[in-house]
Amino acid sequence: MSHMTNPLATPDQLYQRRSFSALPTELQDAIFFSAQCLTQAAGVLLHLPQSTTAQANVLLARYWLVEPFMSDDYEFSDMSAATLYLTAKISPTPRSPRDVTNVYTYLLSPSSPFLRPSSLPRAPNIPKTYYLSQASYQAFHARLLAAEAHILYTLSFNTHVALPHAVCITYLQALDFLAQQRKEPLAKRALAHLNTALLSPQMLYLTSQPNALAVAAIYSAARDVGAKMPECEWWEVFDVDREELGFLVVGMRSVLGWARKMRVDVPGMKDGGMLRRADVEGEMRRRGLFLGNGRAVGGEEEDPEAEMARKMDEKMAEMEARG
Amino acid sequence: MASKGSRWAYQEEDAALEAQLKKEKEEKKRQKAEKARKLEAERKKQQQQQQQAHDTAAAPPPPSRPAANHDDNDDAGVSEPYRGGQRDDGNDGAHGPPVKRRRISPDRDTAPTAAAAAPTPNPAGGVGVSDSTSSSSSSKLLRFEGGAFGRCHSVENYDKLNDIEEGAYGWVARAQEAATGKVVALKRLKIDPKDRSGLPVTGLREIQILKDCDHRNVVKLQEVVVGDDTSKIDSIFLVLDFVEHDLKSILEDMPEPFLASEVKTLLLQLASGVAYLHTNWILHRDLKTSNLLLNNRGQLKIADFGMARYVGDPPPAKLTQLVVTLWYRAPELLLGATRYSTAIDMWSVGCIFGELLTREPLLQGKNEVDELTHIFSLCGIPTDDSWPSFRRLPNARALRLPHTSAATGAATGSVIRAKFPLLTAAGVALLNGLLALDPDRRPSARDMLDHEYFRQDPKPKQEAMFPTFPSKAGQERRRRRTTPNAPARGQQAVDLGAVDFSGIFSGRDREERGGGFSLRMV
Ligand SMILES: Nc1ncnc2c1ncn2[C@@H]1O[C@H](COP(=O)(O)OP(=O)(O)O)[C@@H](O)[C@H]1O
Ligand SMILES: [Mg+2]
Repeated sequence: MSHMTNPLATPDQLYQRRSFSALPTELQDAIFFSAQCLTQAAGVLLHLPQSTTAQANVLLARYWLVEPFMSDDYEFSDMSAATLYLTAKISPTPRSPRDVTNVYTYLLSPSSPFLRPSSLPRAPNIPKTYYLSQASYQAFHARLLAAEAHILYTLSFNTHVALPHAVCITYLQALDFLAQQRKEPLAKRALAHLNTALLSPQMLYLTSQPNALAVAAIYSAARDVGAKMPECEWWEVFDVDREELGFLVVGMRSVLGWARKMRVDVPGMKDGGMLRRADVEGEMRRRGLFLGNGRAVGGEEEDPEAEMARKMDEKMAEMEARG
Repeated sequence: MASKGSRWAYQEEDAALEAQLKKEKEEKKRQKAEKARKLEAERKKQQQQQQQAHDTAAAPPPPSRPAANHDDNDDAGVSEPYRGGQRDDGNDGAHGPPVKRRRISPDRDTAPTAAAAAPTPNPAGGVGVSDSTSSSSSSKLLRFEGGAFGRCHSVENYDKLNDIEEGAYGWVARAQEAATGKVVALKRLKIDPKDRSGLPVTGLREIQILKDCDHRNVVKLQEVVVGDDTSKIDSIFLVLDFVEHDLKSILEDMPEPFLASEVKTLLLQLASGVAYLHTNWILHRDLKTSNLLLNNRGQLKIADFGMARYVGDPPPAKLTQLVVTLWYRAPELLLGATRYSTAIDMWSVGCIFGELLTREPLLQGKNEVDELTHIFSLCGIPTDDSWPSFRRLPNARALRLPHTSAATGAATGSVIRAKFPLLTAAGVALLNGLLALDPDRRPSARDMLDHEYFRQDPKPKQEAMFPTFPSKAGQERRRRRTTPNAPARGQQAVDLGAVDFSGIFSGRDREERGGGFSLRMV
């Protein structure tokens, strides 16, 4: 039984992702971050417990470590929807495909404030933009189920996720040196760090076990509220070594600052909303990078003539889509 | 892989160069993978040869399982948390000797991937971690190992030997892993392509629960494999350790019943497995003899988790009462309880106990009402005394029961004692406890393990001394089951309506076993 353990990324998986991906790192990170935010937003709108949504975040991170971005045929938002649908389905609080579809349609519409930079005016709410025809519903539904099966296949049907949240609260209660502190704000900060860590493109939930995540969150929270920590290496009580703690604390604390910067730096994130494959493909072209036929780089070299024709087609499609 | 350089951070101006490099790397990777595949094939062949020479009991663990490597952790570093097993992705044949413990981290300079590639700097010294340096390598830290994740393999890696079970309800076959020669059981997950909610939640639970379980009395799931066409996942197979028999088949074919000592061994193992499940918040919800497997070494394994689920504490507010095959279904379920607990499994254990003694299912009702009739005539009519909360159950309100005055009280109680004349007093006490109408009075699986019955002579027989049986599962055959099955999904729970049980004991003074009465619907 593994209430305290998760399957973790192998060094090889991490290495492959960074070294062989068709996408530059910051594009990968931007996709990862916006999809994880999308899952969180949808979880809120679907009234799912955070524990369910967090599990969906972890499953999605695992999925993309095995199946690189752009190597499947799905929109990033489809994968977010499918992991959330799947996690809810096997939880005590399932949600219908209809509900999931409606929520995602709204979040992906121009009316949604999702990831909209605060510099832009609030998007006007125009219900027509998230009205779903029967045909589009059926198309979304079909993609949802296909994506669900694909995720399960990719993860060998292992949907087990151990979250650090409960462990974190238990540890907090056990820590003597925090006795003088009011536990409530501390616990809140610690849980906030754990939730933020879900969004980290460093995939902290894939590199560390719950006990380490919990300790790092407590450490960060204690620093936030200025609690005095003992000189001793107290984290070792929880079987966490200092190096891993350091790595995690930096990782957790840097997410927000990094996200802010990324949203300025990565084109396509500027206008707000969820990143789409087309955005990424457009950006790759802008940089003169070759994406192959949607697979990882290294496929057959396209003949220049055909490539030109394809690019023009894509451009047209894109312009039409933007309308 | 080690010498791929330290270009982790992506910079805008590197883009073009990197694109070029990537192509080369891809090519190299492909060649390497090809080589690895060949190595792997060779490795498997060797292993197979070794294995054939080997005693099967000492067979090495299957290669796809992560190898534990707790002890080579001394050089703690950022790479630390990344270690752990690796699920074969065609690559690991290249990493040294097969199957043995092996170290998987790439060399030091390639390891800190996430640290260096991520948007943050390497943490060394960057955190305000207290500097009172005591060398942490001296302290023993517990490492949690959770394995790795990766894609499913294909069912094509297995060759079918024979069908074990084929019918309306499922398909199980004996098969052999082509690469290793290992014999397994393949169980096909029931999928309804028209189901608008996607893959069945029962199947997903069955897989997850089996993956989470690790106990000698629970059947072991080796992996999940899928059909070759992975563009649409429409056939999914559980690869289970092959177990020679199920108890149902054995009981059907035995000329003589199990000895008392054998019954005890089987029950102890069953209780031990159930205790493990319940400790881990798992309800099985379909315990019966056809779901209990027995190998040739006398080891019992609980199987078929198609109805199982996790329940928290407190249990979920509303569970479906449509669980457990009719003959093994607890009275509270028959009476429509939607809040129930581990005691429903203990009722089934009681039914199995009875069946082990007589080789016949204990309570063979034809439908829900008939099942209740059988239960009440064996275990007695529920009274405010024997089951105080009984009247509050949804289907109990409309039941008419015989009057239980002081005079008739004795005649409407349990007849378990009389039905099992050869069972010792302790045995009767245990069976009576398991078949207590009131779920709160049934012993837990842990309680059961400590029961007097198992301490008395004859002592439980050693598993290794168990008789062997001809394996039906090992031969070509199509089996026909006469037992009913667990309720199907989507089925409606019956509303028992108004039922009159008042006559069910009228014949008892004449007939010891309480049969021969009729039930009136009013
Ligand atoms: N691991 C196994 N080894 C051998 N036979 C098995 C195994 N698992 C199941 N069986 C056989 O297949 C039958 C049906 O399997 P089960 O898991 O109960 O599926 P179902 O949900 O169809 O009842 C069992 O009664 C048993 O005879
Ligand atoms: Mg079965």
